[in-house]
Amino acid sequence: MAMRSQVYEWANFGTGQRRTTGMTAQTVTANQELDIFIGGVGNNITKPAETTATQFVVIEDISASPHNGGAVQVRINTTDYFQNPDVTKQTGVPGTASPYPVGAPSTAGGTDNLLSSFNLYPDVYVLPGQTWSVLYTPSDEVFGTGSATTTGVACFVKYTLYDGPDALIANKLLELGVTVNPNNVDWYKRTLIEQSSAPASTGGAE
Amino acid sequence: MAMRSQVYAWNSGNAAFGGSAGQATAGTSFSIFIGGLGNNITKPAETTATQFVVIEDIGCDATAYDATADGLTGNRAYIQVVINTTEYFLDPDNVGNDGVPGTAAPYPRSIAFQPSFNLYPDVYVLPGQTYDVRYKAFETGATGSNDAFLKYTLYDGPDALIANKLLEMGISVNPGNVDWYKRTLISGASAPAMV
Repeated sequence: MAMRSQVYEWANFGTGQRRTTGMTAQTVTANQELDIFIGGVGNNITKPAETTATQFVVIEDISASPHNGGAVQVRINTTDYFQNPDVTKQTGVPGTASPYPVGAPSTAGGTDNLLSSFNLYPDVYVLPGQTWSVLYTPSDEVFGTGSATTTGVACFVKYTLYDGPDALIANKLLELGVTVNPNNVDWYKRTLIEQSSAPASTGGAE
Repeated sequence: MAMRSQVYAWNSGNAAFGGSAGQATAGTSFSIFIGGLGNNITKPAETTATQFVVIEDIGCDATAYDATADGLTGNRAYIQVVINTTEYFLDPDNVGNDGVPGTAAPYPRSIAFQPSFNLYPDVYVLPGQTYDVRYKAFETGATGSNDAFLKYTLYDGPDALIANKLLEMGISVNPGNVDWYKRTLISGASAPAMV
């Protein structure tokens, strides 16, 4: 289990704890970044997402509900991944470009079915020891339960977790300038095996 | 029949083979094999010493997050794979989570619900291991029943040995690579002996 496909889904249900029953939709403030891991709104985890010294994370997909002008940003340590052409801050990938679920309507209660315009390639690497977060920012306020128009919104992150020896190989691939993906990690393992099983050199020239 | 594509579809409203028909209790994790709800099998899913299973796809019923009275429509369902006692899907804080949301891996699929998730790399169940697929919903009553789906390939006999060999070699276990390994063995055996 050294390479594992992983997912994280956030929705504005609950107030910062793990997912349970009976959670109700919470308000998400417009134009304010919300950390989907530890932001205190919706389902959360217990501590910031981080890689240990023997872990390597490759984020392969991010998406968000397309309605309410939602957008999703990746932050590694303190650096935002998506930025404007003038190197200023932006909210990230709009949900209309990377909808969750694929096929969701562009407006709350709409009837169109949006498809992805965005593919996160190249992937985003989180190196050993780094902290990462995913930030959701709606341009229109998302109203929670008790409001006139309760709206549910969600975000989705798909990543691969490399652990132990596979994380070391992932680092090695990065040094070599080779894309880190399961195929290439397997290729590197095969190379190591072939080298170790090759007949020993017989020495110098005659 | 040494490599076989296999599927298992579970529906909580189907009382076939011992399970009782109904709807999943909110917040409770159900084994889709032996959970006692919906169609079940007779014993936990396990591989024998001469079997190797590769789980290639999982899915369950999807939920829409939208403008409704509750802000959602659906069961808020998740599906998790458990190998022996280890949960496959973890949160970023390394704690086991509920699994893949049906919204990301919907079953059945529709225009409104298309997959965001692809189970790659696949999940390997090695010879002698027990595996389970668990369904958990956080809402009930939104739809009449709960659904889950599992697609896997069963390698049996010599092909299971080859699958193990491929695993040792760091090669993905799939039918193409098993066939490639067989061709390599055949071409090796039929090559003229070295003088």
